[in-house]
Amino acid sequence: MSDKKKPLKKADTTNRNIAIGMILFVVLVGVIFSVVSNRSNSHVAIPSSVSAADGYGVVVNKDAKVRVDLWEDFQCPNCRNFEGVAGNYITDLVRAGKIKAVYHPMTFIGPESILAAAAAACAADDGKFLDMHAALYNNQPAHENSGAWTNSVLKLLAIGAGDTSKSVSTCIDSGKYINWTKNVEADAAKQNVNATPTMFINGKQLIQSHYLDLVALKADFAAVGVK
Amino acid sequence: MKKYSSLQPWLTLFGRILLGGVLLLAGYLKAKSPAEAQMAVRAYKLLPISVANIFGLALPWLEIGGGILLIVGLAVRYSAIFGGLLMLLFVGAISQAWARGLSIDCGCFGGGGQVAAGHTKYLQEILRDLGLTLTAIFLYLNPHGKFGLDKKPE
Repeated sequence: MSDKKKPLKKADTTNRNIAIGMILFVVLVGVIFSVVSNRSNSHVAIPSSVSAADGYGVVVNKDAKVRVDLWEDFQCPNCRNFEGVAGNYITDLVRAGKIKAVYHPMTFIGPESILAAAAAACAADDGKFLDMHAALYNNQPAHENSGAWTNSVLKLLAIGAGDTSKSVSTCIDSGKYINWTKNVEADAAKQNVNATPTMFINGKQLIQSHYLDLVALKADFAAVGVK
Repeated sequence: MKKYSSLQPWLTLFGRILLGGVLLLAGYLKAKSPAEAQMAVRAYKLLPISVANIFGLALPWLEIGGGILLIVGLAVRYSAIFGGLLMLLFVGAISQAWARGLSIDCGCFGGGGQVAAGHTKYLQEILRDLGLTLTAIFLYLNPHGKFGLDKKPE
């Protein structure tokens, strides 16, 4: 009796082990897929104002002496608050050529952040990044990834921001810079940026309470000679 | 005693669904937004950045695997050890964040990263994970229950 039972039991464990093996295989494939797809890819299309050397951020005034890095997600409510307090001040400094601004539009909040960042990159090619940046925050939807930011809406925002070129529409529609957003995220991971907004002035991270305190922020800029 | 022995297989099933379901959900939500998962791990300030980034990508899939094994009832004993150790790891990581005064979201179910001071939920997070650790210990001691694919030894 026991001789007959044995082979049957063996077959059972084999199936069980195969099933366990398959699940572990799926885990392995998932890990490899995640690691590969979240790496920076130097072959993707990038806007003309973007370079790998500046962490794939959008650069305005590349020769100014004081460097400001801004890490934001266009869907992030704190970024909109920061924009409300300090947006005009910083944009004025950029427009006056007083600082080199490197904008890193992060996209961890989700698909509509990716669309918005890619659209802003399209506008950057027409020299309208700052306008699109402001337009996106002025029109930030109340809820994340609610379907409010589609490519057709983003095209209208680009026009509203003064970018009426035909190429910007084509660029947004074709998703030209969608893959570039992954490079920005990969760089954020390398630079240990764990929250948005995160701002660096000459590589020094802004103190948390200064984001919504324009007086303190101005003092930080004055400390590096920017007035 | 007789009552318990008829109840135990159902308790095991319940424990498997609870721990497995939590792991599966947590893994799925994290795997969906990998950049955020990486950010959540970095925010604990425990691992070197490059290691934290790999861990953030790998962890969701490990959770998914452990969750599936528990729910279908395969290798329950090992999956329970894995789940239990994972929960203890989380408890340790969250505790150190709390002790060091970091302001982070645990990032357990997606999300994560820094939060405003006063918006942390460390105590709830630790208690939940300790509860799941107890569930894992129960499953380790009672791996065989209803609707499991593991064969109960005769």
